[in-house]
Amino acid sequence: MAGMRALRPALAGLALVAAASGVLLMALVMTSDHAGDRWIPLVLGPLIGWSFTGTGLYAWARRPENRIGPLMVAIGFAWLLAELTSTDVDVLHSVGLLAETLPWTILVHMLLAFPSGRVRSRLERGFLFIGYGILLPLQLLFVVTFDPLSQRCGCPENLFLVARADGVADAAQATQSAVGLAGVLALAWVIARRWREAQAGDRRALRPVLLAGGVTVGLLVVTLAADLTSLNDTAEEVIDVAGEIAMGAVPFAFLVGLLRSRLSRASAVAALIERLGAGDGRRGTLHQALADALGEPDLVVAYRVSLPDAGEGYVDADGAPVDLAPTPGTVWTPVELEGRTVGALRHSAALEDEDPGAVRTVAAAAALALENERLQAELRARIEELRRSRARLVEAADAERRRLERDLHDGAQQRLVALALNLRLARSRVEKDPAAAAELLDESREELAHATAELRELARGIHPAILTERGLGPAVGALASRAGVPVEVGALPGERLPAPIEAAAYFVVSEAITNVDRYARAAHASVTVERVNGHVVVEVRDDGVGGADPAAGTGLRGLADRVAALDGRLEVRSPAGGGTTLRAELPCGS
Amino acid sequence: MRVVIAEDSALLRAGLVRLLTDEGFDVVAEAGDAEDLLRKVRAHRPDVCITDIRMPPTNTDEGIRAARTIRAELPEVGVIVLSNYVEDGYAFELLGDSAEGVGYLLKDRVADVEAFVDAVRRVAGGGSALDPEVVGRLLGRRRRDDPLEQLTPREREVLGLMAEGRSNRGIADALVVSDRAVEKHVTSIFGKLSLPAGTDDHRRVLAVLVFLRA
Repeated sequence: MAGMRALRPALAGLALVAAASGVLLMALVMTSDHAGDRWIPLVLGPLIGWSFTGTGLYAWARRPENRIGPLMVAIGFAWLLAELTSTDVDVLHSVGLLAETLPWTILVHMLLAFPSGRVRSRLERGFLFIGYGILLPLQLLFVVTFDPLSQRCGCPENLFLVARADGVADAAQATQSAVGLAGVLALAWVIARRWREAQAGDRRALRPVLLAGGVTVGLLVVTLAADLTSLNDTAEEVIDVAGEIAMGAVPFAFLVGLLRSRLSRASAVAALIERLGAGDGRRGTLHQALADALGEPDLVVAYRVSLPDAGEGYVDADGAPVDLAPTPGTVWTPVELEGRTVGALRHSAALEDEDPGAVRTVAAAAALALENERLQAELRARIEELRRSRARLVEAADAERRRLERDLHDGAQQRLVALALNLRLARSRVEKDPAAAAELLDESREELAHATAELRELARGIHPAILTERGLGPAVGALASRAGVPVEVGALPGERLPAPIEAAAYFVVSEAITNVDRYARAAHASVTVERVNGHVVVEVRDDGVGGADPAAGTGLRGLADRVAALDGRLEVRSPAGGGTTLRAELPCGS
Repeated sequence: MRVVIAEDSALLRAGLVRLLTDEGFDVVAEAGDAEDLLRKVRAHRPDVCITDIRMPPTNTDEGIRAARTIRAELPEVGVIVLSNYVEDGYAFELLGDSAEGVGYLLKDRVADVEAFVDAVRRVAGGGSALDPEVVGRLLGRRRRDDPLEQLTPREREVLGLMAEGRSNRGIADALVVSDRAVEKHVTSIFGKLSLPAGTDDHRRVLAVLVFLRA
């Protein structure tokens, strides 16, 4: 802010200099006797100079960090300098000659730099080189070889004349016109392209500038073309005047564009804070306030959240995931609060060019409000995650019931019906054919054994009796002994654990061993269940082919849900060729 | 009497064949799924076919669908559908608008050989056989101003047996009463429930069932 205080008087000083210079110019032109139509330089000269310096100084004061203001002021002064050609005083006239093309060069510079004030691309720098590196030296060459006395215009003497060379002077001027014409046409193409690529928020700012700039540049093209083709004097005069009037309108268009593009940073932040203070905390309020403050209707606000299932990530206000991959023409700016990233804003890349730091300043002002909404978004995301997990649990339970019904229907139930039938048939044969009856009874006993075995298996699938009766250790041991590969059982808790923990741990081991048997092509596996820092940590490793995808199968998905229901975490590490490790951490108060 | 059997459990199928053969039926073909059943029924034109309800390939209601096809295509072939559980909805779907030559029984009933064989004979002869469990559920339904409350306990029994598809003769045997007594009960029941009186056993079954379902 110290810089701001020092700036104001300096700008006021510049304004005074501009005003005085303009008045002085008027006085000099009034007393001049060589200008043809005196009212043009008399009225239009200072007016155009003033309009550029005035609007430029205003823009400079409003947006000190933006270079458009200084560029406009520079055009204003260059214009006043160039108008000195209309004066009678030799030295002033000579300076005017030198400065003749300067305002146009700076105008092109400003068109290229709008609205950020910077020229970035190599192409744009090329334009500046043509302006400052070719056209200005050509003007110098013209000035040192041009003798006004040869024109018989009653002009003052050219003090910078080194050696009169009409051919060189004419060539310099013709080259200037040709290069300028080509340059201006190329510029029109560059600006048209920029318009096509502009985001909605930027177009609003570009429109007035491109309109005024386009008209001016168009008239400039006609002027240059006229120079090259030597039109008659009256026509040239008309075009000149029209060009100058259009030129006078340019600074106002730039000012409108600049103010339209974004509010000044300070007032944007002030307005933002006021709105956030008055905000009713409804969803979307923050987004609207930020979008308005930055002049970015397409702004995207993303909140950084940490979810038990999906982990760290970004979501929108509704809790839906947001992809942080940048789209063309946009960038993400992180929002930080107390050193933590709480969210990110997606805005047009041009905004950062035009007003560097503005997004961060606005983001910092809104960080607390954003943190508030972030917590709500995280809550919504968690609820959404819970809803999905609950739906999956219900679905898994249904699938399990269907499987049980099918197993019962196809297995034990059929066997029992057949058994009843056999017994009935045996009964009817007891007297007539005791041998056949005995055979039927043997068959029946066998069927009964099958049926009970099936029921036992089924019951274990529902909930293993050994887990209820003896606890996790013996149950895991039983799983290991039934596995298709050797399974080494390591550490196991000696004491009984809460039933839900035991069940979850058991099914983690059971699913892991089933997967080892089915997919891993492993030679060996190991199981440990340990208590670590108030957690029960279940780990099953194998030395198989790896490459297990937790998202692919319903088994692991269901396990993850079961573990998450106990506030635990399930982790699958399965690099291709590197074996698979399934690890579950279940909180378990000691 | 010629029979075709469709049942995907080989064990149960073998038991059924043995049972029916013992009882003097001629099992002309066995099928493992509904397609097979339709083919063999069309080829053999048996007096009756017995089919499981749930069979490959989808293990849902293949048996019911095959039974309806047979009833529409070959009305003279009796169809008995066996199931591990019974549902009224399936029963009525199977009956359609005629109770002739159709049966719907719980699979467990096969172990009660006399009753099962009686049901198979009835269906083969154009009669019907509805599982007592379905009938029990229909009778036990809660109704507003229940007309069944006007019936005596004996009349309710008779109504149930009629619904199962038994003839007066069969009812008399089951209740160990005279044919005359059964006829009296039937007349009384029809009067109390305002059902059109008729002697035709087949149509009587449908009338009773429609009444019970309403």
